[in-house]
Amino acid sequence: MRPGAALNAVRGGVLMLAAATLLTVWAVPVLLAVLTSLKNEKEVLAYPPSLLFEPTLKSFVTVLTGPTNILPNLTSSLIVAIGTTLLTIIIAVPAAYAFARLKLPGKKPAGFYVLATQLVPPIGLIIPYFLILNKIGWMDSYQGLIVVYLTFSLPFAIWLLVSYFEDIPREMEEAALLDRASRWQAFWHVVLPQARGAIAVTVTFVFLNAWNEFLFAVVLGGATVKPVTVAMYNYINTEQTLWAQLSAAALVAMFPVIVLGILAQKHIVSGLSAGAVKGTGRR
Amino acid sequence: MKPAERLAFAERPERRFALAMAAPGVLVLIVTTTLPLLYLIWQSMHNINLAMPGMDRFMGLENYERMWGDERFWAAFGFTLIYTGSTVAMQLVIGLAMALLILRIPRAQWVFRIAAILPIVLAPVVVGLFWRSLMLTPDFGIVDFASRSLGLGSHNWLGDPVLARVSVIVIHTWQWTPFVFLYMLAAIAALPSDLFEAARIDRANAWRRFRYITLPLIRPAIIVVVILRMTVALSAFAAIYAATGGGPGTVTEIINLYAYRVSFAELSLGYGAAVAVVLLALTMLVAALLFRVRREA
Repeated sequence: MRPGAALNAVRGGVLMLAAATLLTVWAVPVLLAVLTSLKNEKEVLAYPPSLLFEPTLKSFVTVLTGPTNILPNLTSSLIVAIGTTLLTIIIAVPAAYAFARLKLPGKKPAGFYVLATQLVPPIGLIIPYFLILNKIGWMDSYQGLIVVYLTFSLPFAIWLLVSYFEDIPREMEEAALLDRASRWQAFWHVVLPQARGAIAVTVTFVFLNAWNEFLFAVVLGGATVKPVTVAMYNYINTEQTLWAQLSAAALVAMFPVIVLGILAQKHIVSGLSAGAVKGTGRR
Repeated sequence: MKPAERLAFAERPERRFALAMAAPGVLVLIVTTTLPLLYLIWQSMHNINLAMPGMDRFMGLENYERMWGDERFWAAFGFTLIYTGSTVAMQLVIGLAMALLILRIPRAQWVFRIAAILPIVLAPVVVGLFWRSLMLTPDFGIVDFASRSLGLGSHNWLGDPVLARVSVIVIHTWQWTPFVFLYMLAAIAALPSDLFEAARIDRANAWRRFRYITLPLIRPAIIVVVILRMTVALSAFAAIYAATGGGPGTVTEIINLYAYRVSFAELSLGYGAAVAVVLLALTMLVAALLFRVRREA
């Protein structure tokens, strides 16, 4: 072997080792949660932490069927996330199309306005909404939480869709208009089918953000509307933490978003930086 | 019909159509976001305490004057700057280094792309709880176990004032570095490869290639990602809430958490609103920066 090749081999080995370390650091909390969820509550407290143990699905059974099971919470999350996603898409798709493609009067200031609303910190909204929802009797209600979720999902979805709409070629749309299709027909029959992929990506991220939301849910929800993110606290109280059950519940709760994230992995960069740059990393 | 004629002909109905398409979105945002924010500002000039209903009164800028002399507010303000500055700096340095590293690995890059998704998609509250229990609990958490195994002893990671601050910073960095990594990966992969070929022929070493070619070219991407991460760090909440709840005492309180505790633990909604207005102003300052950069890009 030439000395250069040996050096390259060593360098390659170091690179791989560094990369493997990083991989471990990212994966460890989730792997630990998987291990912990398969232990019984006594095994969890063993020191040193045991790697070899008899795995049991007891914790999963408990969090799914026990007295403090999270099924109602999964339902809550599902209703809020689906409601938010539906409303957001219905409102955001036409708006994004107008921003990206049409001669919209006041396009620039309106676009900036939408982008600015996306950056509003949730704490600035939660205090007024706490009083407003109390006044109109919408505390701990699905409609209340869904309206509040629009505040972050709508600007996000509009901007994400604008960046995608800008990339759709205009030829077919113009051909349809020349064939005397109305604006609406061109949008509905020509543009929308081409935007199916973009809408799918947007649906994914709006759903994911709504599913993971915690601050609004913990303050404005309650006994009726209690999403899974809030329900994690069922397994923690001042006396003890039920580690195995907490891990199992968290894994069940996070399963949908992990699957969605992996499915949409190519779009995660553009999906999470909507509006910051025109057409970033869409490959 | 010539294209120009067609455009002129189509323009007026197009404007009307465009308005009809955009109006619902903009109107919903005005009602759901702008009006509540105006209400927030109005609240911040009132004394609203849920523990003492019926005592609401207008008090002008008194809440803001009180904030000026409020040590706990300034501590939260200071920690917000530390938290935002350090998490964003670490995300950028580690994320960029990782992107450069992974790009030099010929195979299995996809493994890293997939692994990077994991922290990003987890709910911050779950991340906070995982760290608080599985990673950092004295005696049982894996970090404490590692620390003991290395002879560094067991520590109260979330109970010690200094360690608690370091811990919440590490948790945020852990969750969001993969995002910067993926962002940088995309930015570097989009660069024209012939530039690097030319530099290699000129025998520029790896560091010089990075310093004089890659870095200047990805500068716009770096600026955008930094501002983006700043806005997210400024409104971070759930991970700290889950890990320390702002404690021990108040040492891990960022403005966000302070406003929350004042409003919903001490039920002093007027003063909480004033604190939230300050955070809002801070975030809009960063947003103005973003607008500037977008215009230049």
